[in-house]
Amino acid sequence: MTDLGRLAVCLALVCAAFSAGTSILGALRRRADLVRSGTHAAYACFALVALATGLLLRALLARDFSLEYVAAYSSSTLPTNYTVASLWGGQKGSLLFWAFVLTLFSTLVQWQNRDRNRDLMPYVTATMMVIAAFFLSLVTFITDPFERLAQPAVEGADLNPLLQNYWMMIHPPSLYTGYVSASVPFAFAIAALATGRLGDQWIRTTRRWALFSWFFLSLGNLFGAMWAYEVLGWGGYWAWDPVENAAFMPWLVSTAYLHSVMIQEKKDMLRVWNMVLVLLVFSLTIFGTFLTRSGVISSVHSFTQSGLGPFFIWFLLAVILVSGGLIVYRLPELRTSGTIESFLSREAAFLFNNLILVGIAFAVFWGTVFPVISEWVRGVKITVGPPFFNRVNAPLGVVLLFLMGVGPVIAWRRATPHNLWRAFAFPVGSGVAAWCALLVAGVPFSLAQATFALSVFVLGTIAQEFWRGMRARQAMLKERAPQALARVIGKNRRRYGGYVVHVGIVSIFVGIAASSAFRIEVQQTMKPGDVATVGRYALRYDRIETSEDGHMSSLAAVLDVSLGGQQIAVLKPEKRFYKKPQQPTTEVANRSTLREDLYVVLGSYDPKSQLVTILAYVNPLVVWIWIGGLVLAMGTAIAVWPGPAERRAEVTSGAFEAERA
Amino acid sequence: MTARAVVLALLLAGVVPSMVVGETPPPTQSEIEEALTCQCGCGLTVHSCNHLQCPSGEPMKDEIRSRLGAGETRETILAAFAAKYGEKVLSSPTMQGFNWFAWITPFAALLVAGTILVVVVRSRLGRAAAVPAGAAAAPGDDAMRARLARELAEMDRDA
Repeated sequence: MTDLGRLAVCLALVCAAFSAGTSILGALRRRADLVRSGTHAAYACFALVALATGLLLRALLARDFSLEYVAAYSSSTLPTNYTVASLWGGQKGSLLFWAFVLTLFSTLVQWQNRDRNRDLMPYVTATMMVIAAFFLSLVTFITDPFERLAQPAVEGADLNPLLQNYWMMIHPPSLYTGYVSASVPFAFAIAALATGRLGDQWIRTTRRWALFSWFFLSLGNLFGAMWAYEVLGWGGYWAWDPVENAAFMPWLVSTAYLHSVMIQEKKDMLRVWNMVLVLLVFSLTIFGTFLTRSGVISSVHSFTQSGLGPFFIWFLLAVILVSGGLIVYRLPELRTSGTIESFLSREAAFLFNNLILVGIAFAVFWGTVFPVISEWVRGVKITVGPPFFNRVNAPLGVVLLFLMGVGPVIAWRRATPHNLWRAFAFPVGSGVAAWCALLVAGVPFSLAQATFALSVFVLGTIAQEFWRGMRARQAMLKERAPQALARVIGKNRRRYGGYVVHVGIVSIFVGIAASSAFRIEVQQTMKPGDVATVGRYALRYDRIETSEDGHMSSLAAVLDVSLGGQQIAVLKPEKRFYKKPQQPTTEVANRSTLREDLYVVLGSYDPKSQLVTILAYVNPLVVWIWIGGLVLAMGTAIAVWPGPAERRAEVTSGAFEAERA
Repeated sequence: MTARAVVLALLLAGVVPSMVVGETPPPTQSEIEEALTCQCGCGLTVHSCNHLQCPSGEPMKDEIRSRLGAGETRETILAAFAAKYGEKVLSSPTMQGFNWFAWITPFAALLVAGTILVVVVRSRLGRAAAVPAGAAAAPGDDAMRARLARELAEMDRDA
């Protein structure tokens, strides 16, 4: 069966190359039969990659240790859910999985546009198939997931214990989905550049895909943070590791694009800039894969490294050259007549928002690659770690938060003093009141304090927008408040969905600021009966509990947690010792409330003296980061759901093109 | 203008020296641990590494403790570690020599991009048609009502 898998991958590569070639040829010679042929080959490519992926998954679940990949990343004792996760736990499987998601999205795009965008589609198909061909070439010629061992292994080496966590079941697929779906707007941008159809059509078609990609990048980053928080056990959730940065950069640029594209739609401006952003997002996804796979920069998240780096770099260079060349070629046609009329306008606010977002992305990129640059220039290895990224990005983040409050409510074109007063009196008043309250509460002057005050300002602008929309509807239609609120959101989902997303982002900002600035940490060595005080909590060490199964053994310190003399919880921070490979891992015990997390790690245990060393942290408001993620998801769902006008536009556009054809 | 300059000079005269001569608090153990990267390969700072009896982090923490106990300054302690392990032990680039580029490039790039943005926008401001201020679609009640009216018309069409 595994030979069938290899054959399927080879045939998929042939189909991808054929599809790309015939699609372009069909478009150039205006031959519908060739274009159709290219589309069908793309469908076949997906079917073959799906078959290969299914066969690899089957081999993993059947514990077929004659396959090198199965023997390297699973074992007979690995639970089924993690056996499924081992499909993307190693390099070979993850590249095949990438090709699977890519060809799946390609198929969805073909199906969605079967009656639309006929001029663009051959180039869209060709672009997506060229990307698929690149990944399938790697899987076929360089890193074959169906490689057989000369002698089948008796037992597998198992999945890295750090990856045996439920967040790892969803973090990589979310990130891959975000990365891979960024290729859809990219493919449409290339198609628009190739055909010269540079209007808003390609942007309207890919709006949901861009949001979809952004949404999964957001989730991927958040799930990764949750995994780091629970598994790495150092009390934090973001270490500015190169691989974390690689996932964060496309998110930042994608966020910039989602904002600047509104300016193009409303004011017919920034066409070149939007093209550049779309191409940059895609390039950064490839750059991220290069960082993860090449080992050029050491990372705690690089569980697989290989010599694939040069292939990704060449592919990245080709992407930049081709897309950059197309932009330069189309530059005269991309220029638009739209212009900004005042710095006090929504257009200007969005431009500065873009500047800061791309600026942060650049700062992250610069910090990530600077060790390599330093080594080239000086021959000296240096480290660019969290203190650098925090010091550079924290002030920029605060400016971004401020612009998040200004952008959505300042007037288009030009704001007058009257407009400004009407738009900002309440939010600024709220922000200033919050700032005064923080001063009275004794919160020291800091970026965290500024973040809290600005968060209230932003929430004030959003609340005001909801309130005014609802009141206007109530005044005109005499609707009840809940009905008016629901209708005002339902009739303009994109706008109000965006506001809800902003609420989620504010929540994330608050969680990050509070947990970074006001964390309490205690390290204490204790014998049974000893009590450690951590912030408001008293932790009494009771005993050690041990357990063992065929897969691992574990050691847990049992701690009674009291607050104000009342016992409120029993926490059991663990150390696990996996048998294959022999590796200890940390299992954090976390008591999470809306106010703070009590996060406890078992540092060490001496069986002779019965002494344990615990590291305990009180991380304020961390849960608001995850709640912010939920709110963000809700807001995206609202924004992406088509309203009646959009549904009508889609039907009309499809019918029009069908008639024209 | 002169008055403003005088006020600014007075402010600077008052504030800057107080910033310069203000007493620097003694460095803390965690502050130094955050400034150093653990050499066990975890990629985290010495403070964040929680490897079980880490062969790199634990001795480094002990050394920091003893150096702080001996009254050494932050700079001396970091220099001692850099001499021992190489510059890579510092968790962020020093603000010296080539390493300055690490710190200033992001801000310089932002400044240059921001300046270009402002210059381009300014050059286009003149081209914009003279529209009476406030005629723009402000998100006040009028704009809200206009939007609502559009949406209602749309709803009627849907029905």
